[in-house]
Amino acid sequence: MRISLFNVTATIEHGCRGFQKLGSSSFQGETARLLGAFSQIRAASGPSKGMLPGPYPQTPEERAAAAKKYNMRVEDYEPIPDNGEGYGDYPQLPDRSQHERDPWYSWDHPDLRRNWGEPIHWDFDMFIRNRVDTSPSPVAWHTMCKHLFGFVGFMLLMFYLGEKFPSYQPVAPKQYPYSNLHLERGEDPEKQPEEVKHFNI
Amino acid sequence: MGAHLARRYITETETEPDPAKPFGFDPEFGFGERKEREMVASQAQMNLAQVPVLQRDYCAHHLIKLMKCKRDNWPNFLACKHERHDWDYYEHQDYVMRMKEYERERRLQMRKKRVEEAQAA
Repeated sequence: MRISLFNVTATIEHGCRGFQKLGSSSFQGETARLLGAFSQIRAASGPSKGMLPGPYPQTPEERAAAAKKYNMRVEDYEPIPDNGEGYGDYPQLPDRSQHERDPWYSWDHPDLRRNWGEPIHWDFDMFIRNRVDTSPSPVAWHTMCKHLFGFVGFMLLMFYLGEKFPSYQPVAPKQYPYSNLHLERGEDPEKQPEEVKHFNI
Repeated sequence: MGAHLARRYITETETEPDPAKPFGFDPEFGFGERKEREMVASQAQMNLAQVPVLQRDYCAHHLIKLMKCKRDNWPNFLACKHERHDWDYYEHQDYVMRMKEYERERRLQMRKKRVEEAQAA
């Protein structure tokens, strides 16, 4: 179950008494519960209940409230279709990676190319600039495919033709003495090689 | 240059010889008498000189002379011009003989074809 992140930084207020009592506990939830037992100490960690995603909006009022929650205009807000997978009222944002955003605009977070308060895509961690890139190719995809496969196909065809019709010099094969170097080639010394005669021409 | 390829693949596909196949005609055919090629360096000599197998052809005695000259004159790598030229010249003669053999084979093939056509007619 993934929890979307909001622009809320988690801070924990420590009281001296509470800290000593807890020792080295490091889980936020556990800390919150334990600290809640002491009235003087409270934690300001985690989103409040109103900020978390809720169930799929049924009525227009629920839609408006959800749009306000996610910092979107009511016209822009469209929840992810309810197919039983549990997305709730989380908005359906276009599947565009951060590569496609203007590199020259002065974003609040230049590395993420995102402004403060902007709704975050469900797969935001996939669409960062180090990862999946959905930007369009410089030339149309089918053109690129045609060029690549055309070239590779042509080269394969030419290599095949080169095998079928090899190019050679118009000379007879080279003539070697001693029965085509029968012994030097490591053939059987006992076997009598066939007589090979070479002539001047 | 390359006319033989045009002949072999396009115009005269039956008569142009294929160097990969052995040449079938009798070596003495058409000659009055033919001198055999002489091999000067013996197998033992070539072994002692450690001549590479592919260079043990009919010019190997010049190559052995060249190798000896180079070994004796090292580090003067400019010393053996005369021996190198001799070896090169005999290798060239060998290549020209190969060209002549190819041409002989080609003419004999064409003659064969003419004879067959004359007989068929």
